[in-house]
Amino acid sequence: MNAPAASARGVSKHFGATQALDNVDFDVLPGEVHALVGENGAGKSTLVRILAGVHRPDRGDIAVAGEVCAFNGPRDAIAAGIITIPQELRLVPGLSIAENLTLGDPPLRRVLGLAMIDRARMRREAGEQLAQLDFTPDTRLRVDRLSFAERQLVAIAKALRRRCRVLILDEPTAALETREVERLFAVLARMKSRGTAIVYVSHRLDEVVALADRCTVLRDGKVAATSRRGAFKVADLVEAMTGRAASKVDAVVSAPGAVVLEDVTQRPDAIRLRAHEVTGLAGLLGSGASAVLRRLFGIGGETIELRRDGALTRIAGPAAAVRAGIGFVPDERRLGLVMNMSVRDNILLPSLDRLARGGRLDRAAGDRLVGELIGLLDIRPRAMHARASALSGGNQQKVILAKWLAREVGVLLLDEPTQGIDVAAKAQIHALIGDFSKRGGGVLVRSSDLAELALICDGILAVHKGRITDRLQRSDGFDEKRLHAAIGG
Amino acid sequence: MRPLKRLNLFGQGPLIALLALCFIISLLTGRFLSPLNLTNILVQSSIMAVIAIGMTFVIIGGGFDLSVGSTVALAGCVAAMAMVQFGLVAGVLAGIGAGVAVGLVNGVIVASLGINPFITTLGTMVLVRGIVFLITGGAPVGDERLPAIFLAFGTARFLGIHYLVWVPAVLLIVLSWVMAATPYGRRIYATGGSREAAYLSGVPVERVIASTYMWCGGLAGLAGVMLAARLQSGQPTAGEFYELTAIAAVVLGGASLHGGEGTLYNSIIGVFIMVVLGNGLNLLNVDSYWQRVAIGVVIVAAAAADRLRSRS
Repeated sequence: MNAPAASARGVSKHFGATQALDNVDFDVLPGEVHALVGENGAGKSTLVRILAGVHRPDRGDIAVAGEVCAFNGPRDAIAAGIITIPQELRLVPGLSIAENLTLGDPPLRRVLGLAMIDRARMRREAGEQLAQLDFTPDTRLRVDRLSFAERQLVAIAKALRRRCRVLILDEPTAALETREVERLFAVLARMKSRGTAIVYVSHRLDEVVALADRCTVLRDGKVAATSRRGAFKVADLVEAMTGRAASKVDAVVSAPGAVVLEDVTQRPDAIRLRAHEVTGLAGLLGSGASAVLRRLFGIGGETIELRRDGALTRIAGPAAAVRAGIGFVPDERRLGLVMNMSVRDNILLPSLDRLARGGRLDRAAGDRLVGELIGLLDIRPRAMHARASALSGGNQQKVILAKWLAREVGVLLLDEPTQGIDVAAKAQIHALIGDFSKRGGGVLVRSSDLAELALICDGILAVHKGRITDRLQRSDGFDEKRLHAAIGG
Repeated sequence: MRPLKRLNLFGQGPLIALLALCFIISLLTGRFLSPLNLTNILVQSSIMAVIAIGMTFVIIGGGFDLSVGSTVALAGCVAAMAMVQFGLVAGVLAGIGAGVAVGLVNGVIVASLGINPFITTLGTMVLVRGIVFLITGGAPVGDERLPAIFLAFGTARFLGIHYLVWVPAVLLIVLSWVMAATPYGRRIYATGGSREAAYLSGVPVERVIASTYMWCGGLAGLAGVMLAARLQSGQPTAGEFYELTAIAAVVLGGASLHGGEGTLYNSIIGVFIMVVLGNGLNLLNVDSYWQRVAIGVVIVAAAAADRLRSRS
């Protein structure tokens, strides 16, 4: 067995009173994909940041190719060949692909003794680099014109330009569609065959099972399990992560309820939501499924007409939609929360007018409501005055749902409500959605995860190029082949 | 950076800075703590405090207003002109109304047309100053033709304290309550903290933003009327650089230029820091040119502190 490309031995790290990592051992071999999984707050990010030189461990050592290193910052880690591809890619949007790839060490030529950027060579080198990833765009294109998946490939290509011993990917597939995930996996397989060590952090356990040679599960800052390929299944991972056996959310089939929301502006594509029903919107990235959802909340400038609980209502913007008892959970959490405000103020934001008594807010009633919701949704920490930015992704998502439960809306529009959150929080949010609909609410939920839609929805609308192309019912059984065909995937 | 953070944890960083500044100056000169000088500081702070309260509305709402200095001059001149013609009440209302009008223009352009507040208010700053010179012909307005009660307002006291000082004190109490305890106040914080998130929560963000500029303009108008009372006339050149002092004071008070954070109380502390600094340098006979340099340093330092805070 050869020496690990990178390893952590007995690493501990605390932030304030929180022990983020406690005596953790972790290593990754050349030519190996080592997955790192765990619930939010289990210590994955901390471990990855220590490997990347962002944090220094309190105790323990980091070694690269068998030699102990003390990183003084990310620069040292990069020099040692440890490259991180974070969730939010660090590319300059206004520069071209070629410029981004060669940023920092552009190819130069001398003109009259002056060093000038050799643009032809820059483009050629960038093109060659990307061709290795089976990606052949016009390298003069600005990066902000690319899709997320394409930008990710540019970021990986940039990492490959440097000596890359260890590639760390943090939730690389959170924003990718199925086909893009496949392409990414092909790229990773090729890098692996060339001897690059890959650390793969993900919430998508089925991917981990498909991709990883080894998998380490972190729980509460400790290693809960490390196992080899073939020795782990999704259910095992969930159990190791949460410390309990995985339970399935029961799908409930019930009689159709009253129509709670009907889009009367767009006749042919009319969306109709019923009480006690969860309706799914399936569509690839760029299919317009997200726009269908946003339109119903009055976003996009046009005024639409809805029939809400039978009454005709004009929706000119989100304020009107909220007054009509409609809540919207956007696909990005920073759009759902005012990050520098407290959990309490965020939860009460849509309900301020309801809590006003003679012009002033009824503080006690607000606190009571927030306290109840924090308990009901199991939001942690149980501190209503904590800043929203201090919460983990799953808890932030619960706070966004709590906003609409506080307002007592009758219809929820959810855009990727479980994107990038851990399995436990995901299950809790699924249960909340089910509970909301059981109490007579109507739900429209978009997700790029078809398995998730099949799990929680009573009916699914397939969207392709902004139009509804098919409607499937749970009673018919969700036919995945038919669904794929309808969304054009 | 760490002590700075800890001070902010208590929320009293600006107050501690102010007390430290007072302590240092009082060690250097015995005249600082004299009753006459302290009264002087209060009166000098009063007009800037009214402007800073309005500026705090705009900055918490995520905006910026450079036009307040010109608005002060416009309001003073309009108030003096109206007062000579129609009497005291009409004059005061005309002055404040002129300020609200400037704020409305700023607010509609920034909120509805989505134009950068820096450019918008830079434009209205120059534009309003031009209007002031046009309507006055560049000459002061009023003098002894102003109502006697108005002229007395600039110097008279109530319970031993100048009327000029009572104005921001009452505004501070009432408007702090509005910010903290009414739905409207919380919507300003939410809009400044994240315009998109507030919008998607049903907050009418355009109206909220426009209203903050109207507060700022209206209070700058009130400050202009107060200044006219103090100067015993409407001065077309009044209020120059007031916008910069007001913004610096608000940022010194801990409000974030990114929006969503700050309190009226701390902004007033920021005003005191600016005024005490100027007053102290005067008492110490520091060259007035150097005073400008010192105030410039403080403004940059305040912006740097804002940056450090938002990073931590």
